[in-house]
Amino acid sequence: MADGTKTRLSEPAAEPASPQPSGMTISRDPAHEGGDTILTINFGPHHPSTHGVLRLVVDLDGEVVTRVKPVIGYLHTGIEKTAEALRWQQVVTVTDRHDYLSPLFNNLSYALAVEKLIGVEVPPRAQALRVIMNELCRISSHMIWLGTSGLEMGAISMLWYCLRERDKVLDLNEEISGFRMHTSYIRPGGVSADATPRFLEMCSRFVDEYPKSIDEYEDLLSENPIFKLRTQGIGYLSQEDALRLGQTGPMLRGSGVDWDLRKNAPYSGYEKYDFETAVEDAGDCYARYRVRIKELREATRIIRQALDTLPDGPVNVDDRKMLPPPREELDTSMEALIHHFKLFTEGYSPPVGDSYAAVESGHGENGCYIVSDGTHKPRRVKFRSASFVNLQSTERMALGGMVADMIAIIGTIDAVMGDVDR
Amino acid sequence: MTLASIATETGVSAGDQWVTVPAAQIREAITAARAEGYDFFGFITCVDHLGRDDGGRPPYSGAGEAESPRFEIVYQLRDLSRRRQLRIRAFLPPQDPVIDSVHDFYGPANWDEREVWDLFGVRFQGHPELTRILLPDDWVGHPLRRDFPVGGDPVDFSQEHEEWQTAPRRA
Repeated sequence: MADGTKTRLSEPAAEPASPQPSGMTISRDPAHEGGDTILTINFGPHHPSTHGVLRLVVDLDGEVVTRVKPVIGYLHTGIEKTAEALRWQQVVTVTDRHDYLSPLFNNLSYALAVEKLIGVEVPPRAQALRVIMNELCRISSHMIWLGTSGLEMGAISMLWYCLRERDKVLDLNEEISGFRMHTSYIRPGGVSADATPRFLEMCSRFVDEYPKSIDEYEDLLSENPIFKLRTQGIGYLSQEDALRLGQTGPMLRGSGVDWDLRKNAPYSGYEKYDFETAVEDAGDCYARYRVRIKELREATRIIRQALDTLPDGPVNVDDRKMLPPPREELDTSMEALIHHFKLFTEGYSPPVGDSYAAVESGHGENGCYIVSDGTHKPRRVKFRSASFVNLQSTERMALGGMVADMIAIIGTIDAVMGDVDR
Repeated sequence: MTLASIATETGVSAGDQWVTVPAAQIREAITAARAEGYDFFGFITCVDHLGRDDGGRPPYSGAGEAESPRFEIVYQLRDLSRRRQLRIRAFLPPQDPVIDSVHDFYGPANWDEREVWDLFGVRFQGHPELTRILLPDDWVGHPLRRDFPVGGDPVDFSQEHEEWQTAPRRA
Protein backbone atom coordinates (compact mmCIF):
# COMPACT_ATOMS: atom_id res chain seq x y z
CA MET A 1 0.00 0.00 0.00
CA ALA A 2 1.18 3.49 -0.84
CA ASP A 3 1.28 4.84 2.69
CA GLY A 4 3.11 1.79 3.89
CA THR A 5 0.45 0.71 6.35
CA LYS A 6 -0.51 -2.91 6.34
CA THR A 7 -4.12 -3.74 7.11
CA ARG A 8 -6.23 -6.80 6.83
CA LEU A 9 -9.17 -6.72 4.48
CA SER A 10 -11.40 -7.83 7.31
CA GLU A 11 -10.60 -7.78 10.95
CA PRO A 12 -11.49 -11.19 12.29
CA ALA A 13 -13.80 -11.26 15.24
CA ALA A 14 -12.25 -11.62 18.64
CA GLU A 15 -11.55 -15.27 19.07
CA PRO A 16 -12.05 -17.38 22.16
CA ALA A 17 -8.84 -17.80 24.03
CA SER A 18 -6.93 -20.99 23.51
CA PRO A 19 -7.24 -23.18 26.58
CA GLN A 20 -3.47 -23.23 26.83
CA PRO A 21 -0.92 -20.67 25.83
CA SER A 22 0.01 -21.14 22.23
CA GLY A 23 2.77 -23.64 22.52
CA MET A 24 4.52 -24.56 19.32
CA THR A 25 7.57 -22.74 20.54
CA ILE A 26 9.87 -25.21 22.10
CA SER A 27 10.55 -25.59 25.74
CA ARG A 28 13.66 -23.68 26.55
CA ASP A 29 13.05 -24.42 30.17
CA PRO A 30 16.32 -25.32 31.85
CA ALA A 31 14.47 -27.10 34.61
CA HIS A 32 13.49 -29.96 32.34
CA GLU A 33 12.58 -33.06 34.30
CA GLY A 34 15.66 -34.81 32.98
CA GLY A 35 17.95 -32.18 34.41
CA ASP A 36 21.20 -31.59 32.61
CA THR A 37 21.42 -35.00 31.02
CA ILE A 38 18.61 -34.36 28.54
CA LEU A 39 19.60 -32.55 25.39
CA THR A 40 16.87 -31.05 23.25
CA ILE A 41 17.74 -30.68 19.59
CA ASN A 42 15.95 -29.47 16.52
CA PHE A 43 15.90 -32.14 13.87
CA GLY A 44 15.15 -30.10 10.80
CA PRO A 45 13.33 -28.19 9.39
CA HIS A 46 16.14 -27.88 6.89
CA HIS A 47 17.81 -31.19 7.48
CA PRO A 48 18.25 -32.95 4.15
CA SER A 49 16.76 -36.18 5.46
CA THR A 50 13.44 -34.66 6.46
CA HIS A 51 11.98 -34.81 2.94
CA GLY A 52 10.96 -31.23 2.79
CA VAL A 53 10.57 -29.11 5.85
CA LEU A 54 9.67 -31.36 8.73
CA ARG A 55 10.94 -30.24 12.09
CA LEU A 56 11.22 -32.70 14.93
CA VAL A 57 12.05 -31.53 18.40
CA VAL A 58 13.92 -34.43 19.87
CA ASP A 59 14.93 -34.96 23.49
CA LEU A 60 18.05 -37.03 23.78
CA ASP A 61 19.48 -38.87 26.73
CA GLY A 62 22.93 -39.53 25.39
CA GLU A 63 22.03 -40.93 21.99
CA VAL A 64 18.73 -42.42 23.07
CA VAL A 65 15.56 -40.65 21.99
CA THR A 66 13.27 -39.88 24.92
CA ARG A 67 10.73 -37.60 23.27
CA VAL A 68 9.83 -36.61 19.72
CA LYS A 69 7.56 -33.76 18.84
CA PRO A 70 6.89 -33.16 15.17
CA VAL A 71 6.35 -29.53 14.24
CA ILE A 72 4.67 -29.07 10.90
CA GLY A 73 3.14 -26.31 8.86
CA TYR A 74 6.18 -24.91 7.08
CA LEU A 75 4.73 -25.82 3.69
CA HIS A 76 1.16 -24.76 4.43
CA THR A 77 -0.21 -23.10 1.31
CA GLY A 78 -3.92 -22.98 2.07
CA ILE A 79 -4.81 -25.42 -0.68
CA GLU A 80 -8.25 -26.12 0.77
CA LYS A 81 -9.04 -22.42 0.93
CA THR A 82 -7.83 -22.00 -2.64
CA ALA A 83 -10.07 -24.85 -3.76
CA GLU A 84 -13.13 -23.09 -2.33
CA ALA A 85 -12.48 -20.15 -4.62
CA LEU A 86 -12.23 -22.29 -7.76
CA ARG A 87 -14.91 -23.87 -9.89
CA TRP A 88 -15.45 -27.62 -9.60
CA GLN A 89 -13.46 -28.44 -12.72
CA GLN A 90 -10.63 -26.07 -11.77
CA VAL A 91 -9.97 -27.73 -8.42
CA VAL A 92 -8.25 -30.58 -10.27
CA THR A 93 -5.19 -28.40 -10.73
CA VAL A 94 -4.69 -27.90 -6.99
CA THR A 95 -5.10 -31.61 -6.31
CA ASP A 96 -1.97 -32.12 -8.40
CA ARG A 97 0.10 -29.89 -6.27
CA HIS A 98 -0.29 -30.53 -2.58
CA ASP A 99 1.17 -34.03 -2.75
CA TYR A 100 3.68 -33.56 -5.49
CA LEU A 101 4.66 -37.24 -5.54
CA SER A 102 1.16 -38.55 -6.11
CA PRO A 103 -0.72 -36.09 -8.31
CA LEU A 104 -2.66 -38.80 -10.09
CA PHE A 105 -3.92 -40.39 -6.88
CA ASN A 106 -5.27 -37.08 -5.71
CA ASN A 107 -6.75 -36.34 -9.12
CA LEU A 108 -8.53 -39.66 -8.89
CA SER A 109 -9.82 -39.24 -5.35
CA TYR A 110 -11.21 -35.81 -6.20
CA ALA A 111 -12.70 -37.03 -9.48
CA LEU A 112 -14.30 -40.03 -7.76
CA ALA A 113 -15.80 -37.82 -5.06
CA VAL A 114 -17.32 -35.43 -7.60
CA GLU A 115 -18.59 -38.27 -9.80
CA LYS A 116 -20.10 -39.94 -6.76
CA LEU A 117 -21.94 -36.76 -5.83
CA ILE A 118 -23.22 -36.16 -9.35
CA GLY A 119 -23.93 -39.85 -9.86
CA VAL A 120 -22.09 -40.58 -13.09
CA GLU A 121 -19.76 -43.44 -13.91
CA VAL A 122 -16.91 -43.07 -16.35
CA PRO A 123 -16.59 -45.43 -19.34
CA PRO A 124 -14.48 -48.60 -19.02
CA ARG A 125 -11.61 -47.28 -21.12
CA ALA A 126 -11.26 -44.25 -18.86
CA GLN A 127 -11.29 -46.51 -15.81
CA ALA A 128 -8.52 -48.67 -17.25
CA LEU A 129 -6.44 -45.62 -18.17
CA ARG A 130 -6.93 -44.29 -14.65
CA VAL A 131 -5.65 -47.57 -13.23
CA ILE A 132 -2.62 -47.53 -15.53
CA MET A 133 -1.76 -43.96 -14.62
CA ASN A 134 -2.29 -44.60 -10.93
CA GLU A 135 0.03 -47.57 -10.90
CA LEU A 136 2.64 -45.62 -12.88
CA CYS A 137 2.30 -42.89 -10.30
CA ARG A 138 2.80 -45.46 -7.54
CA ILE A 139 6.03 -46.49 -9.23
CA SER A 140 7.29 -42.93 -9.54
CA SER A 141 6.30 -42.16 -5.93
CA HIS A 142 8.05 -45.26 -4.59
CA MET A 143 11.07 -44.45 -6.74
CA ILE A 144 11.53 -41.15 -4.97
CA TRP A 145 11.02 -42.87 -1.62
CA LEU A 146 13.52 -45.63 -2.41
CA GLY A 147 16.07 -43.28 -3.88
CA THR A 148 16.05 -40.76 -1.07
CA SER A 149 15.79 -43.34 1.71
CA GLY A 150 18.64 -45.31 0.21
CA LEU A 151 20.66 -42.13 -0.10
CA GLU A 152 20.09 -41.27 3.53
CA MET A 153 21.17 -44.70 4.66
CA GLY A 154 24.41 -44.56 2.72
CA ALA A 155 23.41 -46.19 -0.56
CA ILE A 156 24.06 -43.10 -2.64
CA SER A 157 23.80 -44.88 -5.97
CA MET A 158 20.15 -45.76 -5.25
CA LEU A 159 19.11 -42.22 -6.00
CA TRP A 160 20.55 -42.31 -9.49
CA TYR A 161 19.06 -45.70 -10.31
CA CYS A 162 15.66 -44.65 -9.05
CA LEU A 163 15.63 -41.27 -10.77
CA ARG A 164 16.52 -43.06 -13.99
CA GLU A 165 13.35 -45.16 -13.82
CA ARG A 166 11.25 -42.30 -12.51
CA ASP A 167 12.22 -40.30 -15.56
CA LYS A 168 10.72 -42.97 -17.76
CA VAL A 169 7.44 -42.67 -15.87
CA LEU A 170 7.56 -38.90 -16.28
CA ASP A 171 8.10 -39.43 -20.01
CA LEU A 172 4.94 -41.52 -20.03
CA ASN A 173 3.08 -38.74 -18.19
CA GLU A 174 4.29 -36.29 -20.78
CA GLU A 175 3.24 -38.51 -23.66
CA ILE A 176 -0.30 -39.01 -22.43
CA SER A 177 -1.09 -35.63 -20.88
CA GLY A 178 1.53 -33.16 -22.05
CA PHE A 179 2.89 -32.57 -18.56
CA ARG A 180 5.57 -34.40 -16.69
CA MET A 181 4.54 -33.86 -13.09
CA HIS A 182 1.37 -31.89 -12.52
CA THR A 183 -0.61 -33.69 -15.14
CA SER A 184 -4.24 -32.96 -14.15
CA TYR A 185 -4.85 -36.01 -16.29
CA ILE A 186 -7.73 -37.53 -14.34
CA ARG A 187 -10.69 -35.19 -14.20
CA PRO A 188 -14.27 -35.49 -13.03
CA GLY A 189 -16.04 -37.23 -15.86
CA GLY A 190 -13.08 -39.04 -17.36
CA VAL A 191 -9.55 -38.29 -18.37
CA SER A 192 -8.14 -35.32 -20.24
CA ALA A 193 -6.96 -37.22 -23.33
CA ASP A 194 -7.03 -40.67 -24.82
CA ALA A 195 -3.88 -42.76 -24.82
CA THR A 196 -1.87 -42.40 -28.00
CA PRO A 197 -0.54 -45.53 -29.76
CA ARG A 198 2.94 -44.29 -28.88
CA PHE A 199 1.99 -44.13 -25.20
CA LEU A 200 0.72 -47.70 -25.24
CA GLU A 201 3.92 -48.87 -26.91
CA MET A 202 6.16 -46.91 -24.51
CA CYS A 203 4.19 -48.14 -21.52
CA SER A 204 4.31 -51.72 -22.68
CA ARG A 205 8.08 -51.52 -23.14
CA PHE A 206 8.48 -49.92 -19.72
CA VAL A 207 6.45 -52.65 -18.03
CA ASP A 208 8.56 -55.32 -19.72
CA GLU A 209 11.85 -53.75 -18.71
CA TYR A 210 10.96 -52.51 -15.26
CA PRO A 211 11.06 -55.80 -13.27
CA LYS A 212 14.76 -56.04 -14.17
CA SER A 213 15.28 -52.67 -12.50
CA ILE A 214 13.49 -53.89 -9.37
CA ASP A 215 15.91 -56.84 -9.33
CA GLU A 216 18.75 -54.34 -9.47
CA TYR A 217 17.44 -52.43 -6.46
CA GLU A 218 17.02 -55.65 -4.56
CA ASP A 219 20.56 -56.73 -5.48
CA LEU A 220 21.82 -53.49 -4.04
CA LEU A 221 19.73 -53.34 -0.88
CA SER A 222 17.81 -56.44 0.13
CA GLU A 223 20.79 -58.46 1.34
CA ASN A 224 23.09 -55.52 1.91
CA PRO A 225 24.42 -55.96 5.48
CA ILE A 226 24.68 -52.22 6.16
CA PHE A 227 21.16 -51.59 4.93
CA LYS A 228 19.80 -54.49 6.96
CA LEU A 229 21.59 -53.33 10.09
CA ARG A 230 20.05 -49.92 9.70
CA THR A 231 16.53 -51.12 9.05
CA GLN A 232 15.91 -54.53 10.64
CA GLY A 233 14.36 -54.19 14.06
CA ILE A 234 14.43 -50.41 13.73
CA GLY A 235 11.29 -48.33 14.02
CA TYR A 236 9.10 -51.16 15.27
CA LEU A 237 5.37 -50.51 15.06
CA SER A 238 3.11 -53.24 16.39
CA GLN A 239 -0.11 -54.20 14.70
CA GLU A 240 -2.19 -52.72 17.53
CA ASP A 241 -0.29 -49.46 17.43
CA ALA A 242 -0.59 -49.22 13.66
CA LEU A 243 -4.35 -49.62 13.89
CA ARG A 244 -4.71 -47.33 16.87
CA LEU A 245 -2.68 -44.63 15.17
CA GLY A 246 -4.77 -44.90 12.02
CA GLN A 247 -1.84 -45.80 9.80
CA THR A 248 -2.58 -46.68 6.20
CA GLY A 249 -0.69 -47.91 3.21
CA PRO A 250 2.73 -49.53 3.54
CA MET A 251 2.91 -48.43 7.18
CA LEU A 252 -0.13 -50.57 8.03
CA ARG A 253 0.74 -53.47 5.76
CA GLY A 254 4.31 -53.49 7.04
CA SER A 255 2.83 -54.18 10.48
CA GLY A 256 0.92 -57.21 9.32
CA VAL A 257 -2.54 -55.81 8.61
CA ASP A 258 -3.91 -56.92 5.28
CA TRP A 259 -5.72 -53.75 4.32
CA ASP A 260 -5.53 -52.26 0.86
CA LEU A 261 -8.30 -50.10 -0.53
CA ARG A 262 -7.69 -51.51 -3.99
CA LYS A 263 -8.73 -54.92 -2.67
CA ASN A 264 -11.05 -54.08 0.20
CA ALA A 265 -12.96 -51.12 -1.23
CA PRO A 266 -12.26 -51.40 -4.95
CA TYR A 267 -12.65 -48.33 -7.11
CA SER A 268 -12.12 -47.64 -10.79
CA GLY A 269 -12.29 -51.32 -11.70
CA TYR A 270 -9.43 -52.60 -9.53
CA GLU A 271 -11.47 -55.71 -8.75
CA LYS A 272 -10.91 -56.89 -12.34
CA TYR A 273 -7.16 -57.25 -11.97
CA ASP A 274 -5.28 -60.10 -10.43
CA PHE A 275 -2.73 -58.87 -7.93
CA GLU A 276 -1.63 -59.52 -4.37
CA THR A 277 -1.45 -57.08 -1.51
CA ALA A 278 2.00 -56.83 -0.02
CA VAL A 279 1.89 -57.67 3.67
CA GLU A 280 4.84 -58.16 6.02
CA ASP A 281 4.55 -59.04 9.68
CA ALA A 282 7.80 -57.71 11.11
CA GLY A 283 6.61 -54.10 11.57
CA ASP A 284 10.09 -52.59 11.23
CA CYS A 285 11.68 -50.39 8.60
CA TYR A 286 12.88 -53.41 6.64
CA ALA A 287 9.34 -54.80 6.48
CA ARG A 288 8.08 -51.52 5.07
CA TYR A 289 10.88 -51.63 2.52
CA ARG A 290 9.82 -55.17 1.52
CA VAL A 291 6.19 -54.05 1.23
CA ARG A 292 7.05 -51.24 -1.14
CA ILE A 293 9.33 -53.39 -3.27
CA LYS A 294 6.55 -55.93 -3.62
CA GLU A 295 4.09 -53.17 -4.49
CA LEU A 296 6.38 -52.15 -7.33
CA ARG A 297 6.23 -55.67 -8.75
CA GLU A 298 2.46 -55.85 -8.32
CA ALA A 299 2.10 -52.44 -9.97
CA THR A 300 3.82 -53.72 -13.11
CA ARG A 301 1.51 -56.75 -13.08
CA ILE A 302 -1.56 -54.54 -12.87
CA ILE A 303 -0.36 -52.26 -15.66
CA ARG A 304 0.39 -55.27 -17.87
CA GLN A 305 -3.11 -56.67 -17.34
CA ALA A 306 -4.71 -53.28 -17.89
CA LEU A 307 -2.77 -52.78 -21.12
CA ASP A 308 -3.71 -56.24 -22.38
CA THR A 309 -7.39 -55.81 -21.62
CA LEU A 310 -7.70 -52.11 -22.45
CA PRO A 311 -11.25 -51.72 -23.79
CA ASP A 312 -12.13 -49.49 -26.72
CA GLY A 313 -14.56 -46.66 -26.50
CA PRO A 314 -14.83 -43.12 -25.22
CA VAL A 315 -12.70 -41.83 -22.34
CA ASN A 316 -15.24 -39.33 -21.03
CA VAL A 317 -18.79 -39.47 -19.86
CA ASP A 318 -21.27 -38.37 -22.48
CA ASP A 319 -22.74 -35.58 -20.39
CA ARG A 320 -22.78 -32.13 -21.94
CA LYS A 321 -23.63 -30.56 -18.60
CA MET A 322 -20.31 -31.71 -17.21
CA LEU A 323 -17.81 -31.86 -20.05
CA PRO A 324 -17.50 -29.65 -23.11
CA PRO A 325 -18.71 -30.97 -26.47
CA PRO A 326 -16.15 -31.99 -29.12
CA ARG A 327 -14.75 -29.11 -31.14
CA GLU A 328 -16.41 -30.23 -34.42
CA GLU A 329 -19.88 -29.96 -32.93
CA LEU A 330 -19.40 -26.28 -32.10
CA ASP A 331 -19.47 -25.38 -35.79
CA THR A 332 -22.81 -27.00 -36.48
CA SER A 333 -24.79 -27.26 -33.27
CA MET A 334 -26.29 -24.31 -31.44
CA GLU A 335 -26.90 -26.45 -28.39
CA ALA A 336 -23.26 -27.51 -28.25
CA LEU A 337 -22.27 -23.86 -28.36
CA ILE A 338 -24.56 -23.06 -25.45
CA HIS A 339 -23.22 -25.95 -23.40
CA HIS A 340 -19.68 -24.89 -24.17
CA PHE A 341 -20.41 -21.31 -23.17
CA LYS A 342 -22.14 -22.31 -19.95
CA LEU A 343 -19.36 -24.67 -18.93
CA PHE A 344 -16.58 -22.19 -19.51
CA THR A 345 -18.31 -19.19 -17.97
CA GLU A 346 -20.13 -20.78 -15.08
CA GLY A 347 -19.13 -24.41 -14.79
CA TYR A 348 -21.34 -27.13 -13.44
CA SER A 349 -22.99 -27.54 -10.06
CA PRO A 350 -23.24 -30.91 -8.33
CA PRO A 351 -26.38 -31.45 -6.24
CA VAL A 352 -26.41 -30.36 -2.60
CA GLY A 353 -24.72 -32.92 -0.40
CA ASP A 354 -21.35 -34.33 0.43
CA SER A 355 -19.27 -37.32 -0.52
CA TYR A 356 -15.99 -38.91 0.38
CA ALA A 357 -13.84 -40.99 -1.93
CA ALA A 358 -10.55 -42.59 -0.98
CA VAL A 359 -7.84 -44.20 -3.06
CA GLU A 360 -4.82 -46.26 -2.10
CA SER A 361 -1.92 -43.96 -2.90
CA GLY A 362 1.74 -44.74 -2.53
CA HIS A 363 1.58 -43.36 1.00
CA GLY A 364 -1.74 -44.80 2.13
CA GLU A 365 -5.35 -43.70 2.09
CA ASN A 366 -5.52 -40.41 0.26
CA GLY A 367 -9.07 -39.24 0.18
CA CYS A 368 -11.13 -36.28 -0.77
CA TYR A 369 -14.20 -35.07 1.08
CA ILE A 370 -16.29 -32.55 -0.77
CA VAL A 371 -19.34 -30.59 0.25
CA SER A 372 -21.55 -28.97 -2.35
CA ASP A 373 -24.09 -26.27 -1.59
CA GLY A 374 -25.46 -26.48 -5.10
CA THR A 375 -23.36 -23.69 -6.55
CA HIS A 376 -20.60 -23.85 -9.14
CA LYS A 377 -17.87 -23.68 -6.50
CA PRO A 378 -17.29 -26.19 -3.71
CA ARG A 379 -18.40 -25.26 -0.22
CA ARG A 380 -15.60 -27.34 1.24
CA VAL A 381 -12.84 -29.54 -0.12
CA LYS A 382 -10.95 -31.56 2.46
CA PHE A 383 -8.00 -33.70 1.53
CA ARG A 384 -7.51 -36.67 3.81
CA SER A 385 -3.78 -36.99 3.66
CA ALA A 386 -2.11 -40.28 4.48
CA SER A 387 1.17 -38.52 5.22
CA PHE A 388 -0.48 -36.29 7.83
CA VAL A 389 -1.78 -39.28 9.76
CA ASN A 390 1.22 -41.55 9.23
CA LEU A 391 3.61 -38.91 10.50
CA GLN A 392 1.99 -39.08 13.93
CA SER A 393 3.50 -42.50 14.54
CA THR A 394 7.02 -41.03 14.52
CA GLU A 395 7.20 -40.74 18.28
CA ARG A 396 5.88 -44.26 18.85
CA MET A 397 8.54 -45.70 16.59
CA ALA A 398 11.46 -43.54 17.61
CA LEU A 399 11.17 -43.69 21.41
CA GLY A 400 13.97 -45.64 22.99
CA GLY A 401 15.93 -45.85 19.77
CA MET A 402 19.08 -44.08 18.69
CA VAL A 403 18.97 -40.67 17.11
CA ALA A 404 20.56 -42.08 13.96
CA ASP A 405 17.60 -44.44 13.57
CA MET A 406 15.36 -41.43 13.16
CA ILE A 407 16.68 -41.14 9.62
CA ALA A 408 15.50 -44.61 8.72
CA ILE A 409 12.18 -44.07 10.47
CA ILE A 410 11.39 -40.79 8.74
CA GLY A 411 12.49 -42.35 5.49
CA THR A 412 10.14 -45.32 5.72
CA ILE A 413 7.17 -43.23 6.85
CA ASP A 414 7.49 -41.64 3.42
CA ALA A 415 5.61 -38.51 4.41
CA VAL A 416 5.39 -35.83 1.76
CA MET A 417 5.45 -32.54 3.59
CA GLY A 418 3.45 -30.76 0.93
CA ASP A 419 0.64 -33.20 1.65
CA VAL A 420 1.05 -32.98 5.43
CA ASP A 421 0.78 -29.19 5.45
CA ARG A 422 -1.50 -28.71 2.44
CA MET B 1 -26.28 -46.77 24.47
CA THR B 2 -26.55 -47.54 20.81
CA LEU B 3 -25.74 -45.11 18.08
CA ALA B 4 -29.31 -45.27 16.80
CA SER B 5 -30.65 -44.05 20.14
CA ILE B 6 -28.30 -41.06 20.14
CA ALA B 7 -28.74 -40.11 16.51
CA THR B 8 -31.21 -37.37 15.67
CA GLU B 9 -31.12 -38.13 11.97
CA THR B 10 -29.60 -40.74 9.71
CA GLY B 11 -29.26 -40.97 6.00
CA VAL B 12 -27.18 -41.74 2.95
CA SER B 13 -25.41 -39.06 0.95
CA ALA B 14 -23.98 -40.15 -2.40
CA GLY B 15 -23.73 -43.69 -1.10
CA ASP B 16 -22.10 -42.74 2.21
CA GLN B 17 -23.83 -43.66 5.46
CA TRP B 18 -24.15 -40.82 7.95
CA VAL B 19 -25.74 -40.02 11.27
CA THR B 20 -26.27 -36.68 12.96
CA VAL B 21 -25.78 -36.58 16.71
CA PRO B 22 -26.21 -33.75 19.23
CA ALA B 23 -22.87 -32.05 19.74
CA ALA B 24 -23.12 -32.48 23.50
CA GLN B 25 -23.27 -36.26 23.10
CA ILE B 26 -20.38 -36.71 20.71
CA ARG B 27 -18.33 -38.82 23.12
CA GLU B 28 -21.25 -41.18 23.72
CA ALA B 29 -21.78 -41.38 19.97
CA ILE B 30 -18.14 -42.21 19.29
CA THR B 31 -18.17 -44.81 22.06
CA ALA B 32 -21.25 -46.40 20.51
CA ALA B 33 -19.76 -46.27 17.01
CA ARG B 34 -16.61 -47.98 18.24
CA ALA B 35 -18.71 -50.67 19.88
CA GLU B 36 -20.37 -51.24 16.51
CA GLY B 37 -16.96 -51.79 14.90
CA TYR B 38 -16.04 -48.36 13.58
CA ASP B 39 -12.69 -48.29 15.30
CA PHE B 40 -10.48 -47.14 12.45
CA PHE B 41 -9.93 -43.45 12.03
CA GLY B 42 -10.55 -41.66 8.77
CA PHE B 43 -10.48 -37.96 9.44
CA ILE B 44 -12.11 -35.18 11.39
CA THR B 45 -12.93 -31.96 9.66
CA CYS B 46 -15.27 -29.03 9.80
CA VAL B 47 -17.60 -27.39 7.31
CA ASP B 48 -18.59 -23.76 7.67
CA HIS B 49 -22.20 -23.28 6.60
CA LEU B 50 -22.12 -19.51 6.93
CA GLY B 51 -24.58 -17.73 4.68
CA ARG B 52 -26.29 -20.70 3.14
CA ASP B 53 -29.49 -19.78 1.34
CA ASP B 54 -31.44 -21.72 3.91
CA GLY B 55 -30.31 -19.41 6.69
CA GLY B 56 -27.17 -21.33 7.45
CA ARG B 57 -29.10 -24.48 8.11
CA PRO B 58 -28.00 -27.27 5.81
CA PRO B 59 -30.90 -29.34 4.50
CA TYR B 60 -29.59 -32.55 6.07
CA SER B 61 -29.03 -31.21 9.57
CA GLY B 62 -30.72 -32.88 12.48
CA ALA B 63 -33.50 -31.62 14.65
CA GLY B 64 -32.96 -30.59 18.24
CA GLU B 65 -29.83 -28.63 17.47
CA ALA B 66 -28.91 -25.06 18.18
CA GLU B 67 -31.07 -22.43 16.51
CA SER B 68 -28.92 -21.76 13.48
CA PRO B 69 -25.92 -24.05 13.41
CA ARG B 70 -22.96 -22.75 11.48
CA PHE B 71 -20.18 -25.27 11.96
CA GLU B 72 -20.56 -28.91 11.10
CA ILE B 73 -17.96 -31.23 12.59
CA VAL B 74 -17.54 -34.36 10.48
CA TYR B 75 -16.07 -37.61 11.78
CA GLN B 76 -15.33 -40.15 9.06
CA LEU B 77 -14.84 -43.61 10.56
CA ARG B 78 -14.11 -46.97 9.08
CA ASP B 79 -14.89 -50.54 10.06
CA LEU B 80 -12.04 -52.64 8.68
CA SER B 81 -13.52 -56.06 9.35
CA ARG B 82 -16.93 -55.35 7.80
CA ARG B 83 -15.52 -52.97 5.18
CA ARG B 84 -17.94 -50.14 5.72
CA GLN B 85 -17.73 -46.48 6.58
CA LEU B 86 -19.71 -44.13 8.75
CA ARG B 87 -19.86 -40.37 8.89
CA ILE B 88 -20.90 -38.74 12.14
CA ARG B 89 -22.02 -35.13 12.01
CA ALA B 90 -22.44 -32.68 14.85
CA PHE B 91 -23.59 -29.10 14.46
CA LEU B 92 -22.27 -26.16 16.43
CA PRO B 93 -23.53 -22.60 16.86
CA PRO B 94 -21.74 -19.58 15.35
CA GLN B 95 -20.69 -18.11 18.69
CA ASP B 96 -17.92 -19.86 20.61
CA PRO B 97 -18.18 -23.29 19.01
CA VAL B 98 -17.03 -25.94 21.47
CA ILE B 99 -17.19 -29.72 21.29
CA ASP B 100 -15.66 -32.49 23.35
CA SER B 101 -12.36 -33.89 22.16
CA VAL B 102 -12.18 -37.52 21.04
CA HIS B 103 -8.39 -37.74 20.93
CA ASP B 104 -8.37 -40.59 23.46
CA PHE B 105 -10.52 -42.77 21.18
CA TYR B 106 -8.47 -42.28 18.05
CA GLY B 107 -4.77 -41.42 18.11
CA PRO B 108 -4.70 -39.28 14.96
CA ALA B 109 -7.70 -37.25 16.13
CA ASN B 110 -5.17 -35.22 18.08
CA TRP B 111 -3.74 -33.52 15.02
CA ASP B 112 -7.04 -33.34 13.17
CA GLU B 113 -8.65 -31.50 16.07
CA ARG B 114 -5.73 -29.13 16.26
CA GLU B 115 -6.12 -28.51 12.54
CA VAL B 116 -9.83 -27.74 12.93
CA TRP B 117 -9.05 -25.37 15.80
CA ASP B 118 -6.35 -23.72 13.71
CA LEU B 119 -8.35 -23.28 10.53
CA PHE B 120 -11.93 -22.95 11.86
CA GLY B 121 -11.58 -21.82 15.46
CA VAL B 122 -13.64 -24.65 16.89
CA ARG B 123 -12.46 -25.54 20.37
CA PHE B 124 -12.15 -29.14 21.51
CA GLN B 125 -12.72 -29.51 25.21
CA GLY B 126 -10.31 -31.89 26.87
CA HIS B 127 -7.71 -31.79 24.13
CA PRO B 128 -4.24 -32.06 25.69
CA GLU B 129 -2.61 -29.40 23.55
CA LEU B 130 -4.99 -27.35 21.47
CA THR B 131 -2.56 -25.09 19.66
CA ARG B 132 -2.13 -23.99 16.09
CA ILE B 133 -0.65 -26.69 13.92
CA LEU B 134 -0.39 -25.47 10.34
CA LEU B 135 -0.29 -21.71 10.79
CA PRO B 136 2.22 -19.65 12.77
CA ASP B 137 1.48 -19.14 16.45
CA ASP B 138 0.89 -15.42 16.07
CA TRP B 139 -1.65 -15.74 13.27
CA VAL B 140 -4.87 -13.83 13.80
CA GLY B 141 -8.11 -15.45 12.69
CA HIS B 142 -9.10 -18.80 11.30
CA PRO B 143 -8.67 -18.84 7.54
CA LEU B 144 -11.02 -21.64 6.50
CA ARG B 145 -13.99 -19.76 7.91
CA ARG B 146 -16.08 -18.51 5.05
CA ASP B 147 -15.81 -14.88 6.19
CA PHE B 148 -12.01 -14.95 5.97
CA PRO B 149 -11.19 -13.62 2.50
CA VAL B 150 -8.82 -15.28 0.08
CA GLY B 151 -5.73 -13.13 -0.15
CA GLY B 152 -6.74 -11.22 2.95
CA ASP B 153 -3.26 -11.15 4.35
CA PRO B 154 -0.83 -8.48 3.18
CA VAL B 155 2.39 -9.81 1.66
CA ASP B 156 5.62 -8.09 2.58
CA PHE B 157 7.57 -7.10 -0.49
CA SER B 158 10.96 -5.54 -0.15
CA GLN B 159 9.91 -2.65 -2.36
CA GLU B 160 6.65 -0.90 -2.80
CA HIS B 161 4.62 -1.81 -5.82
CA GLU B 162 4.62 1.67 -7.32
CA GLU B 163 8.33 2.03 -6.97
CA TRP B 164 9.48 -1.02 -8.82
CA GLN B 165 7.08 -0.40 -11.67
CA THR B 166 8.61 2.93 -12.58
CA ALA B 167 11.86 3.02 -14.49
CA PRO B 168 14.92 3.84 -12.39
CA ARG B 169 15.88 7.48 -12.41
CA ARG B 170 18.98 8.30 -14.41
CA ALA B 171 21.86 9.68 -12.43
